[in-house]
Amino acid sequence: MDDDELIAAVAGGDDAALRELFSRHAPWLAARLRAVLPAAEVEDALQETFLAVWQGAGGYRPAGPAGPAGGWLWGIARRQAALLLRRRGPAAEVLPAEFMTIGQQAGDPAEAALARADLAQAVTALGPAGGLEREVWRLRYLEDRPVAEVAKLLGVPAGTVKSRAHRARRVLLGVLRGGPAAGGGTK
Amino acid sequence: MSGTDAGPPDVDLGRVWLGVAAQVWRREPRWAERAARRLLRSPGLARALVTTPSLLPGWLIATAVVLVAGALATLGTGTPYVPLLAPAVAAAGIAYAYGPGIDPAWELSRSMAVSDRMVLLVRALAVFGLNAALGLAASAASGAAAALTFGWLVPMTAVCCLALAAATLAQSANIGVAAAMSGWVITVLAGNAAAGRLTAVITDSSLILPYLAFAACCGAVVLYATRIPRGTS
Amino acid sequence: MNVELTDLTRRFGRTTAVSGVTLEAGPGVFGLLGPNGAGKTSLLRMMATVIPPTSGRLRLLGRDPGSYAPRREVRRRLGYLPQTLGYYPGFTVADFVEYFALLKDMPPGRVPAAVAAAIEQVGLGDRARAKLRTLSGGMLRRAGIAQAIVNEPDLLLLDEPTAGLDPEQRVAFRSLLREFGQRATVIVSTHLVEDVGAACTQVALMEQGRIVFHGTPAELTARGEGSGAAGDAPLERGYSAVLAAARSVTAARA
Repeated sequence: MDDDELIAAVAGGDDAALRELFSRHAPWLAARLRAVLPAAEVEDALQETFLAVWQGAGGYRPAGPAGPAGGWLWGIARRQAALLLRRRGPAAEVLPAEFMTIGQQAGDPAEAALARADLAQAVTALGPAGGLEREVWRLRYLEDRPVAEVAKLLGVPAGTVKSRAHRARRVLLGVLRGGPAAGGGTK
Repeated sequence: MSGTDAGPPDVDLGRVWLGVAAQVWRREPRWAERAARRLLRSPGLARALVTTPSLLPGWLIATAVVLVAGALATLGTGTPYVPLLAPAVAAAGIAYAYGPGIDPAWELSRSMAVSDRMVLLVRALAVFGLNAALGLAASAASGAAAALTFGWLVPMTAVCCLALAAATLAQSANIGVAAAMSGWVITVLAGNAAAGRLTAVITDSSLILPYLAFAACCGAVVLYATRIPRGTS
Repeated sequence: MNVELTDLTRRFGRTTAVSGVTLEAGPGVFGLLGPNGAGKTSLLRMMATVIPPTSGRLRLLGRDPGSYAPRREVRRRLGYLPQTLGYYPGFTVADFVEYFALLKDMPPGRVPAAVAAAIEQVGLGDRARAKLRTLSGGMLRRAGIAQAIVNEPDLLLLDEPTAGLDPEQRVAFRSLLREFGQRATVIVSTHLVEDVGAACTQVALMEQGRIVFHGTPAELTARGEGSGAAGDAPLERGYSAVLAAARSVTAARA
């Protein structure tokens, strides 16, 4: 059974389908959550996530705005994690910020932490660290350098910088909006 | 859970699943069971009570239907059916109180902290009480005289005790029902033959003591049949 | 010591099912072997407080189950799987395990988690809400094991637990036994000799109501060496040798 069929089965009260869904998706959800939460709270968040799946599977639409199953599941996990983080209070900062976020909502540290997690995951879609697109991304968007300077630093023509930057932006936005790469098993 | 990726090494996914499963698989006690828990002060007894076959909604509805039909028939024809039907219906209910928890898994039931005798007692009392209440309501609704409205409670006790005695002795609810039904039918017909009325055995107050004595004997049989067994290997 | 039996005897009319059994068992897995009719089931029933002994002394978990209150306390910490287990067709696996968990006086708050753990431990996690009437014989047996272990008993009594289980399930079951044997006393009655060799730290062999051997599986194997007794495996040969010796003693007495 594919994920959509499993979720439909869960909506119909099939707990064995929920179990299968868990065994397929809990590992990667746990890994993503682990980037922002300590292990014990990852367990709590994951438990609340799948209980929410059990209650709310009826609301899942395969072709709907929530995106494919993986994105939908991550959306639920994210909400549960945010709830946990808010309960722990603003002093809770789990990881040093590795990335600046784009479009960060002001004043919500839970959202910020999760946006960082999302972004960290999405950036891996650009290829290995040190690769051309990752470097263009870092220099152009994170360090905000002008195109000419980036071209000089990387030793590539300005046109290449522009087209790679454009492509990186497209890929990242696609991933962050819950495209195919938002699903499970992203290595 | 076997055959899955482990996820992060310090996250115990097995434990997480058990937490989910505990909520998904449990049977949330409904109001009747919660009330029974407080009343009986034993969650085990409460669960045993609400799983009594003759207390399940289907059975109760069937009982009510039979008694209502009897009441309507009485209003139509004047023959008091409810006092004649109520003991039989109650006896069937009592025999099937001897059900899950007692019947198939008898050996396991006898190793339980909540003893099987307690379970049987609580179930039998609950079934009897419920049937008595339904019967009284139907009897009053059919406009019968006071003697008939209440008079059948004693014969009902006797017939129910007979059902329970037969069921526990033979370790079969069906035999309990059969014994009780035939016993009651014979009694009613004998009374009819002797006094000319079907309700003779209900209204004759000289029968009260014999009924109660009979019920006590059946009670002794039940105690004997549910004792720790000395027969069978 | 979780189990202390002193000269325990059980008679049914003129038949003596168990005759003068003396045994002690602490934590660990204890195998009870013997042919059909040897008295294993009656012995297990006495330890499960289902039937009382005719004579002799029985102490379970440090208590005398002869009186009501200690017996109830023992039963709370007991797990029992009878040889024939009836089931209620309309119950689901979870209902079934939950029912007996409650009858064992488990605090209701702990029951759902314990039921889930027991069901997963016996490998019925994908069938937790399936009705019992849809299960195969082996699955029903596993459901029975689940109700026995749900209250994490200190004394676990299993009568022919592996009936109907395939080899892979038997392996899983034996590791469950070993795990429980670390804290609790597990007594397994079986006529499958290989079940015993793999998991048990101690073995007793019963014949006609008496214990005719009590020791480790290695010692039982040693009894079979050079005796020319029947059997395909060393443990089986030990088993046959001891039985043959016991029977010849009985014959000589008669």
